[in-house]
Amino acid sequence: MRSFEDDPKLLDMLSPERLKRLLSLIETLSSHSLRLEEKYLKEAEPVEFNLECLAWLHCPGRPDVQQAAARLLEFILMYVGKYRLAANMHHDTTRASYAELERQNIALQVSEARFRLLSEELQTRVDAQVKIIEKTQRQLYESARLRAVGQLAAGVAHEINNPVGFISSNLRVASDYLNEISEKLPDDKNTHLMLEDFRALLSESVSGARRIATIVTDLKTFSNIDQADFTPCSLNALLGTTCHLLQAEHKATLPLRMELTELSPLAGYPAKLSQAFYNILDNAVKALEKEGGEIRIISRQHQATQEIIIEDNGCGIPQDVQACVFDPFFTTRPVGAGSGLGLTVARDVIAAHEGEIQLDSQEGQGTRITLRFWNK
Amino acid sequence: MVDYRPHERKLILKVVFYGPALSGKTTNLMQLHNLLKPQRKGELMVLETRDDRTLFFDLLPIGLRGEQGLDLRLKIYTVPGQVQHDSTRKAVLSRADGVIFVADSQPLQQDNNANAFENLAENLTKLGMTIEQLPLVIQFNKRDLEGAVAESELRMRWRETPWAPLCMASALNGHGVVESFRALLERLYPQLNHEFHLHSNEGISAEHFIRQLSAVAGEDHA
Repeated sequence: MRSFEDDPKLLDMLSPERLKRLLSLIETLSSHSLRLEEKYLKEAEPVEFNLECLAWLHCPGRPDVQQAAARLLEFILMYVGKYRLAANMHHDTTRASYAELERQNIALQVSEARFRLLSEELQTRVDAQVKIIEKTQRQLYESARLRAVGQLAAGVAHEINNPVGFISSNLRVASDYLNEISEKLPDDKNTHLMLEDFRALLSESVSGARRIATIVTDLKTFSNIDQADFTPCSLNALLGTTCHLLQAEHKATLPLRMELTELSPLAGYPAKLSQAFYNILDNAVKALEKEGGEIRIISRQHQATQEIIIEDNGCGIPQDVQACVFDPFFTTRPVGAGSGLGLTVARDVIAAHEGEIQLDSQEGQGTRITLRFWNK
Repeated sequence: MVDYRPHERKLILKVVFYGPALSGKTTNLMQLHNLLKPQRKGELMVLETRDDRTLFFDLLPIGLRGEQGLDLRLKIYTVPGQVQHDSTRKAVLSRADGVIFVADSQPLQQDNNANAFENLAENLTKLGMTIEQLPLVIQFNKRDLEGAVAESELRMRWRETPWAPLCMASALNGHGVVESFRALLERLYPQLNHEFHLHSNEGISAEHFIRQLSAVAGEDHA
């Protein structure tokens, strides 16, 4: 690249036409013919610009004319060159400034793009954060609600326990009294019918009270109210009460099939284990949608372990969802329908008993949850 | 950088007068044009605007011929000192072989001197040169003005820098101009000699180099 200060050639400064015109003007003025060449001419006068020899001027036989003409040419070239240098300089600096501006422009564009990306990224992060906050709020609300319901259930169970106790005992005493009264009553048909009806009423009431007592027991087991240290518990019995509770909720319509074998007692928290069983069973119930569904509850005693298997032939869990089912607050159910804590709690409970929980599921085929506890 | 064309046996050097606005760079160059009688001297080219401020640059070409026929030329430029002409200043400074920094001796101009010197260092860096390695002479001009900062104070201030001793000048009166120029030639020669073996190959000694390029009226060229 030529720089503004590179020494110009003769033809850089004047075009051949202009040079020819200039030369002919000097010839006219001096009345002598002149010869101008870029290459060396013998006996000719150099024409210089900034110490650079641009051409040779020759006027045969007249060195004085030749010299004057050369100086005149130099004088004119000086001003041409001055303009040319300034113009080149201006061109160079303008181009340099423009290149600098372009560089700055590109840098600005790059940084603008970066900021735009950053702002978009920030927006997505804010959105994600907002979602997490909303979800957590819902979950807090849910768990608070669950806890409140649990406490209420425990309180109600406790309060009902005593009246149900004396209602049951009073009903038994009332039956005895009725037998005694019956002997002292007239022995006619109407009285017999009335007494029979009375006995039926009392017996229905006794069974009703017993059912109430059972529900209260289940509620107490289920809620954490009786929480104490590890106590020996029978997993079969806990499974039984949990199933009762579920059946009670679903008006005894659930297709539960129990295949229990005798288990050795296990040290643990009965209430928490019931909670874990309940959560797993509740999921199984919700997985059954089509007719003919069934939930099998199996218990097995092994040498070192005991196993509880709860399996259904319901909808199953998709592959991609399986990885998340134990995550806290993960739920596929509509907002408010599930806390997303069911299996999390179950897993934590099993872990607290140093057991393990295993999930096998096939979408459309069903789900099997295996709980394994070690005998101590 | 030195523009050396071996096939043409031509060595073109570039010296630049740098400094703040109105410190007397063009005056220095005009005085050099008047005072110097070098072996070869071209026309002084002044590209100033209507108010006598340099817009692009001024240029004075001088030269000498070595014993072996080397055509050695020195193009002496000035830059525009005004702040807004920085891109022009940078273009003129590019490929410079030596710089004479013309500072203003008036007390109120000391900040401008410092800014211009900083600008010189910056532009040299941008052009791939370092101020410590470039032959550089610092001239304090306008010594004739009343109230000029005392010479002893200036010398003291610059004593620890690579650019001491300073040159003192009154360019308007032609004082110290040729001396500053000679000081630069002295600092320039060793670098040239190292690269082009001026002494051994071309028969140009330091003394010859300085005398031929900075001869003044009444001094002998030979």
